[in-house]
Amino acid sequence: MPEFQFIGKPTDRVDAMEKVLGSAKYVGDYALPNMLVARTLRSTLPHARILKVDVSAALKIPGVVAAITCEDFVDHSRFGYPISDMFMLAYLRVRYAGDGIVSLAAENEDALDRGLKAIQVDLEELPGVFDPMTALDPATTIVSEHSRDATEDPRGNLLMHYIVRKGDPQRELALCPVTLEEDYSTMHQEHAYLETEGVLAVPVPEKNGVTVYAPCQSPFINRGNLVRTLGLSEENIRVIQPHVGGAFGGKDDLMYQISGQAAKLALITGRPVKMILSREESMIASYKRDAMQMHVQLGADADGKLRASKIHATVDSGAYSSITPFTAWRSTIHAMGPYRYDACHVDTDAVYTNNGYAGAFRGFGNTEVCFALEQAMDELALKLKIDPIELRLKNCLRPGDTTPHGQPLGDDVSLAECLEQVRKISDWKHKHTDYSRVAAKPLIPGEFRRGIGVAAVFHGMSLGAEGEDFAVGTLEINQDLSITLTSGLTDYGTGSRTVFTLIAAEMLGLNPERFSMPRPDTDQSFDSGPTVASRATVLGGNATRVAAEKLGLQLNQSAADLLECKVEEITRHGELFISPKEEPVSFEEVVNHAREMGLTLTSRGRWSPPKIHWSMETGQGKPYFAYHFGAQVAEVLVDTGTGKVEVTGFWAVNNTGTVIFPQGAFGQLYGGITQGLGYALMERVDYDNGYIQATNFDEYLIPTALDVPDIVGAFVEKTFSSGPYGAKNLGEPGLVPAAPAILNAITNATGRRIRSLPANLERVLLGKDLRKEGSSTACKLGLK
Amino acid sequence: MGQYEYNRAASVSEAVVLLNEPGLKSRALAGGTDILLQLRHDPRYCDRLVDISQIPELHRIELKDGWVHIGAAATFNEVLNSPIIKATARVLEQACITVGAVQIRNMGTLGGNVVNAAACADSLPALICLDAVAHFLTSAGEQLLPVTQFVSAPNKTLLPSGALLTSLRYPVPTSGCRSAFIKLGRRNAMAISRLTVAALGCLDEQNRIVEARLVTGSATPHIERLTVVEQSLIGKQPSAELFHSAAKITVDEMIRLAGYRWSSEYKVPALTAMTERVLTQVFIWDEVQ
Amino acid sequence: MKIQFILNGMPAETEAPQDKTLLNVLRENFGLTGTKEGCNVGECGACSVLIDGRLVNSCLTLAAQASGHNIVTIEGVHLPDGSPNDLQQAFIEYGAVQCGFCTPGMVLAGEALLAQNPQPTRQDIRTAIAGNLCRCTGYQQIVDAIQSTAQNRQEKKGHA
Repeated sequence: MPEFQFIGKPTDRVDAMEKVLGSAKYVGDYALPNMLVARTLRSTLPHARILKVDVSAALKIPGVVAAITCEDFVDHSRFGYPISDMFMLAYLRVRYAGDGIVSLAAENEDALDRGLKAIQVDLEELPGVFDPMTALDPATTIVSEHSRDATEDPRGNLLMHYIVRKGDPQRELALCPVTLEEDYSTMHQEHAYLETEGVLAVPVPEKNGVTVYAPCQSPFINRGNLVRTLGLSEENIRVIQPHVGGAFGGKDDLMYQISGQAAKLALITGRPVKMILSREESMIASYKRDAMQMHVQLGADADGKLRASKIHATVDSGAYSSITPFTAWRSTIHAMGPYRYDACHVDTDAVYTNNGYAGAFRGFGNTEVCFALEQAMDELALKLKIDPIELRLKNCLRPGDTTPHGQPLGDDVSLAECLEQVRKISDWKHKHTDYSRVAAKPLIPGEFRRGIGVAAVFHGMSLGAEGEDFAVGTLEINQDLSITLTSGLTDYGTGSRTVFTLIAAEMLGLNPERFSMPRPDTDQSFDSGPTVASRATVLGGNATRVAAEKLGLQLNQSAADLLECKVEEITRHGELFISPKEEPVSFEEVVNHAREMGLTLTSRGRWSPPKIHWSMETGQGKPYFAYHFGAQVAEVLVDTGTGKVEVTGFWAVNNTGTVIFPQGAFGQLYGGITQGLGYALMERVDYDNGYIQATNFDEYLIPTALDVPDIVGAFVEKTFSSGPYGAKNLGEPGLVPAAPAILNAITNATGRRIRSLPANLERVLLGKDLRKEGSSTACKLGLK
Repeated sequence: MGQYEYNRAASVSEAVVLLNEPGLKSRALAGGTDILLQLRHDPRYCDRLVDISQIPELHRIELKDGWVHIGAAATFNEVLNSPIIKATARVLEQACITVGAVQIRNMGTLGGNVVNAAACADSLPALICLDAVAHFLTSAGEQLLPVTQFVSAPNKTLLPSGALLTSLRYPVPTSGCRSAFIKLGRRNAMAISRLTVAALGCLDEQNRIVEARLVTGSATPHIERLTVVEQSLIGKQPSAELFHSAAKITVDEMIRLAGYRWSSEYKVPALTAMTERVLTQVFIWDEVQ
Repeated sequence: MKIQFILNGMPAETEAPQDKTLLNVLRENFGLTGTKEGCNVGECGACSVLIDGRLVNSCLTLAAQASGHNIVTIEGVHLPDGSPNDLQQAFIEYGAVQCGFCTPGMVLAGEALLAQNPQPTRQDIRTAIAGNLCRCTGYQQIVDAIQSTAQNRQEKKGHA
C-alpha cells in the first residue's frame, strides 16, 4: 500500500466547523425580506378522481396571495424519470393519501392555515389497491395510467418485470438432496432524516427566472424538471443545494415537487416563497423504501455446494413509479446473493398500488433481497448442518469467477477475506458453537439467550446498466491561492466533499486547507447525474482526480519553465516544486509564473466507468462494472420472556478499497448499520387501506443511542484499480446486510426463524405480529 | 395574543384564583410536555394556561411524620435524584428513570403525569404501589384521594374543574421493605410503555412474606393494586414456583379487568415474565437484571 | 406579551404571542437558527437548549415559560474568540458530524452531561444523548467525542 500524504489520514470533515458552531444554514434557516410562506393541500383519500378544485374562497382570505394547481404548469406538470407518471400537483386523479393537489402562498402561517381550509376540492373516491400481491389480478382497479410511451398492450398495475436467467433451476432443484423453499417479507422503511423537506424559491426578474434553494440530492435533475414543467430554459433556472440534514436517498421526487410548487408561486407572485414540511406531512407525503415479498428456493449438494436458486419478488412501488424501475432491477441482480450457482432464475414484478409510493433508499433494492437471501442461506446451513460462515466461504464469489449473470469477475473480489476477518474479530467459532448448543436445550421461560449471526453482501457500484454513468469535476486556482473545487455530485452528510478535497489535495500535492467547495450550484458545477447508488467516491472522486491531473500538468509546466528543466524532471516535496538540480520553487511562484505564461489554472475532469451491458430479454450480461463486498456479524441477547432483542455486539468488515477519509468511512459504516438495526427490530411503516399509521417519531421508532452497541468496523483495503487511489464506494453496503445478520443471530439464540420485518416484540415472543386495527385518523390529522 | 393565554402563578393561592376565573377553561401548566401537544391538536383544549412551575413549594420533596410529600411540580429528574425517594421508594425512582430521556425528565413532572392519567403513564403504577394520595386544592379548600381512585379511567381523573393538584404523598414503607419497577418498551429510551410492573414487599425473620404489593401499568383500564395476587403471596416463602403462580394470577386479573384484547396474546406471556422478575427483585435479589 | 431572559449570557427581550414556543422565538425573533425543528413533538431532541443548565426540548416549551430564566443555545457554546470549544472541536476530530442537523442538540446534551457528571462511562453518555436522535452517525463517534472531552477536562483539572 503506497504511503499517501493526505489520503487515509485523520482529517476533519470540511464543513464540520459550521455544523458544530450551529452556523451551517439549512433551507429552513433562511429568511428573506418580502418572503411568502407556502404549503400544499394534500389528498386525504388514497385513490380518487379530482372533480373540482375551487380556490376562489381561499384567495379572498386576507394574507393569501396565490394558489396553483397542475394547470399552472406545462403539460399538467408532468415529470419523472425514467417514467414520467408523476406531477408537480395531481392531475385528474390523486393516487395516494398525501398526494398534493393545490399549493398556496400567503403572508404568514395563520393566513396559510385559513386559506388551506377554504379551498374546496371535490373528490370522487375510487376503489383502492393496497395489497401488492393482488395488484396484478385482472379484476383489480388500475392505479397506473399508461405511460406516454405505452405500447398497445396495457400492463395494468405492472410497472416493470425483470429477470435473471441461467440454466434450469427447476430441474436442478429436483436433483438436489437438500432444498429450501420459503417466503420472506419486508415492509416499507421511512428515511427519517432529521431535517424534513423544504425549499426556498427566489424570483430573479433580470433572468426571467428563479433560483431554488433545495436540499435535494440531485440539483441538475431538479433543474431539468423545473425547465420542463415551468416551460423555461436552463439559463432561467438555478438550483442551489444548501446544507442537507440527511437524505439517504429520500430527497428526490418529493423535493422536486415542492421545488416546482415553490418556484411557480415565486414566479407568479414575484416574491420569495418558502415551503417547509412538518414532520407529519413529510412522513405522510414522502416516498419510502419499497415493501417486498420474496419467494426463495435454494438447492445444494449434501456437502454444501450450492446448485440452484429460484427467486420471485413482488415490489410494492405504490402510487408512482419514481425510481423503482432502477431499484427493482438492482433487487433482481442481487437477489441470489454473492454466490456461485449452476442455475439461477430471478423474476421480479414491480407493481403499482395506492399505498404511499416507493423510491430510493440506501441499499436501493439490495437491502430487501439481502434480508431474504441471507436468511435463506442460514436456513440452508442448518439443514446441511454446516456452519453458516463455512457455507458462505464454500460458495462465495472469488476472483476470476463468473457471476450467475454471466459476468466474469476480475481480481478485486475480497468477499472471502471479509468473511474470514469478520469470523475472527467477532470470535465467531466459539460463540456460535456455544449459543447453538444452548438453543438446542429446552427453553426455561423468561430465560435470556445469546445468539450470533452473519450476513454477506455484494453491492454493484453506481448506476450499473441502469443509466448513463459519468461525473464531472472542476478545479480553479484563485487569486489568493485558494482553490475552488466543484462536483456535480453532492454531499448530504455522506462526506463526499471531504473525499473529493483529499483526492485533489493528494494529486496536486497541496494542503487540503487550500481547497474549498461552494454549495452545489447548477450555475457553477456540471451535471453528473444523480447522487445515489454510492456513486460519489468512485465517479465523483475519479472526475476530481482527472481534473486534478490536468491542473497538475499546468503547474508542472509552469514549474519546468521557471526551473528550466523538463516537465517529467519535476519532483515534489510538500508544496514545493523541485528541479533536478534540487532548486525549489514555491506554489505561489509557480502560480504567478503560470499566469504570466497564460495558463488558465482551471481544469475540468470527466470520468465514466467502463461500458457495461444488460439484456432485459435474456436476463444476462454485465450489470455493474464492479462490486463492493462485505460481511457482518451481529450478536444479540434475546429476552425470551418479553421478546425484546438487544444487539450487544456488531462487527463489520467491508472491502472498500483504499479508505480515503477514515472518520467519514467509519461514520458511514456505523450509521448504515444503525439504520439496518432499526429496520430489523423496530421501524415499521404500516399502510392500512392506504393510510399511513405512524406520522411522527413517537410512533415511528428509530434507534436511540441506547439501542446500538459499540460497533467494530474494519476495512479490507485491497485496492480497486478503477477507483481514485484505489477506493470503492461505501455509502450503502454498510446498511444492506445488517438486518439479516441480526435476524440470523435471533434464530441462533431462540431456534425460531422470523421471516418478516420488523422482528418486533410480538414476532420474537409469539412468532407472529399483532396489530390493532388501523385507522385513517393519524394520517388525516397530519394533513390538516 | 395567540390561541390561549399564559399566566404565571407565584403562589398556590394565586394559581387557584387563576384556575377558577369564570368563563375560561383553565389548566395548570407544569412541564408542558403533555399539555402543549394536546393544544397543538386541539387549540380549544383550554383558554388559559396557569404556569405553576415557579412555585417553590410545589417542587419540595420532604419527609414528615412518616409520610413523603412530593410537590406536584417536581420534575422526574428532581424526584429520581432525591435522597428521600432513593431511600424510601426505589420503585418510584426507577419509574422516573425509565421516562423518556433527559429532556423529558427535566421538563415533565410527577403531577403532570398523574393529571394526564395516560393508561401507559409510568409514574402511576409506582405511586399506586406506594399507596400514594393525591392532594388538590379547590376554592373550597384542600381535598385528597388515593391516586388509585383519583385516576379513575384512562385520561380521566376526579380533579374537579378549577382545582389544582398540589402534592402526592405516600406513607414511608416499613423499614426493610424493598420495591422495584420494570418497564418494557419497544426501544431503550423515548419509548411508550408496552407494559410496566411495580412491586413492593417485606419479609419477616423466618423469610416469610409479610407485605406484598403489586401494580401493573399499560395492562388494565384502571390502575390498581392487584390484591388477589398480593394475598397469594402473604405468609409464604419466596420461591420461583410461588412467583410463577402469582404471575399466573396477575395475568388472569389483567384479563378479568381488561377483557381479552388484540394485544392479550402478547401481554399474557410478557406480563408473566415481568411479574416473576419484579417479585424476584423485591424478595430475592437487589440487583436489576 | 413581553419575553425577557438571559440568552447566551446577555439580557434579551422580545415580543411574542403567548402561545409561541421557545424554539420559534429563538429562531424567528432572535435569528438564532442553530436550534432546529425536527419533529415539533419533543421526540427527536434537535430543538434541545439549556434552561438554567438543564437540557430541555424547546419545541415543547413556551417562550413565556422560559421568561426570566437563563437560556443557552448552540450559539452560546463557542469560545469568546468565536472558535469552537473543546467539545465542539472533539466532535470535529472524532467524525461525530455528518449532516450536522442533530449536532447542536448533541453538543448541548454533551455539555449538560459533563456539567453534572465529569467522569461519565460510555453508558452514561449514551443515556445522556438518548433523547437526541441521529440518523447519520450511529452515535458511536459522538460518544467518543464526549468521552474524550470528559477525559481531557479531568486531566486539565488535575494539572490546575
